Parts: sequence; C-alpha cells; structure tokens
Amino acid sequence: MTDGGAVREGQCACGAVTLRVEGDPILQGVCSCLDCQWRTGSVISVNAGYPADKVVLTGDVREFRRKADTGNEVLFRFCPACGTTLSWDLATPGFVVIAVGCLADRDFPVPNAAVYGERRPDWVCLADSIKEGWG
Amino acid sequence: MTREGRCACGAVTFTVDGDPAGQGVCSCLNCQRRTGSVIGVAARYAEGKVRLSGETRPFSRTSDEGNVTTFQFCPVCGSTVIWRNTGMPGFTMVAVGCLADRDFPAPKMSVFGERRPAWVTLADGITEYLDD
Repeated sequence: MTDGGAVREGQCACGAVTLRVEGDPILQGVCSCLDCQWRTGSVISVNAGYPADKVVLTGDVREFRRKADTGNEVLFRFCPACGTTLSWDLATPGFVVIAVGCLADRDFPVPNAAVYGERRPDWVCLADSIKEGWG
Repeated sequence: MTREGRCACGAVTFTVDGDPAGQGVCSCLNCQRRTGSVIGVAARYAEGKVRLSGETRPFSRTSDEGNVTTFQFCPVCGSTVIWRNTGMPGFTMVAVGCLADRDFPAPKMSVFGERRPAWVTLADGITEYLDD
C-alpha cells in the first residue's frame, strides 16, 4: 500500500476477514438492483471504488462470480465463516469496490449517485445531493 | 399470499406466507457489517410461515444481552437469507432485500439510527428508537 490519505479499517460480521482502505474512494454510490438486494439482504447497497492498491483484505475469503447486466463478470469476495461480502472486482482492471457497511463509519464520504432507484422502496430517502441514475 | 426470496446466486430460496408479524430497519454495526450496507431490513414471521430450500451455513453471534442470533447464509455466494434469535422464540427473521420486492410492507420501526449516515433517512411513518 502506498503512502497518503487516511486509513480506514473494516471487517466482516464475524471478524475473520478484515478490510483496510487508504484515502478517500474514487467514487461511491448506492445501488438497489435486484442482485444487490439479494446479496445484501437490504434494499440498498452502499459501495465505494478504489484503486486496487489502496485496498487490502486479510483473512480467508471465498469467491463468487456472476454476470452483471452489462454482461461483464463481477467477482465478489466473502467470508466463508459468516457470509459477509467485503469487496468485488468489476471488469475495470486495477479497480476494486468495497462494501461500505463493512467500515461501519457513518462519516465515510457521502455517495455521489444512486442507481436502480426504481427498485428502491419509497420509505428510503436519500439526500438531495445524491444524483439519481447513471448520469 | 406467498412471497419468494433467494440468495444472490439462487442456490438458496425461501417462501414466506402472508404479511410479517413485524418489520424494521437496523443500523447497528453488526447489521452494517453483515449486509455491507448502512441499513439492515428485516421482517419477522412466525416460524412456520417461512420455508427455506437449499443448503445454508449457520453463523451465530451473541448479543450484549446474551441472546444468540443464528444467521443462515448461502455457502456459495454468502447471502444471509434468514435468522433466528433465542430472544424471540417461535419467530424467524427474513432479510427483506432477498425478497427484492419494493412493495413489501414498509418497516414500522428503526433502531440504531444514530449509527446511520445522515444521507439516508426514513419515511415519517417509521418510528425511530434511538440508543441514548
């Protein structure tokens, strides 16, 4: 990991896998697609993208691959002891996305955008600064 | 009315009969870590109303009060689909996102809202129980 930027630490639900990110994310967003709802068991996923060298996972993880709507493969890493997904790779090389909830930090940078809002229940309200759609 | 739910890969499915006995939002640190989201959304059903199919793996943790919650997750993709809590005998909790149904009954209450980032708020009808 290179120098620069605040370090944040996170973990899965059982603590067997830990997550460490350096600096602020390149982008962060909310998603309510069906795949994210099934994965999280929540109605929104909260995600942050980093250069791969700013993210370190420690501990044994299992991989799960699925095709995104774009047709690209997404590779998720989850803890085999508790099921928590901590990070995943999109088709973009050198870019890693993390599950922001694993940092359990309410002061983490606010999402820029929300996608698949048409799948999100009306009772969840997002701040006006969060742009809806891919823009 | 029966609703169907599943994990991310589809290896685990479940059905729930009727509307839940209760439903709520939680932003405790454990729910945030489990979901990777900043809110967990759960619905509580009488045990017999939930039918699970497919192989799951259990993960148990003990709360500050001494209750044991045992989560069932899919060993292929990691999704936690249901759980039971020794403090709520006779009930099964369901991860509402696994139903992927935006018309599922809205939560009635929310706990640990003080842990929720300020950029997400809940509709007025949802009662907040803050830990202070």
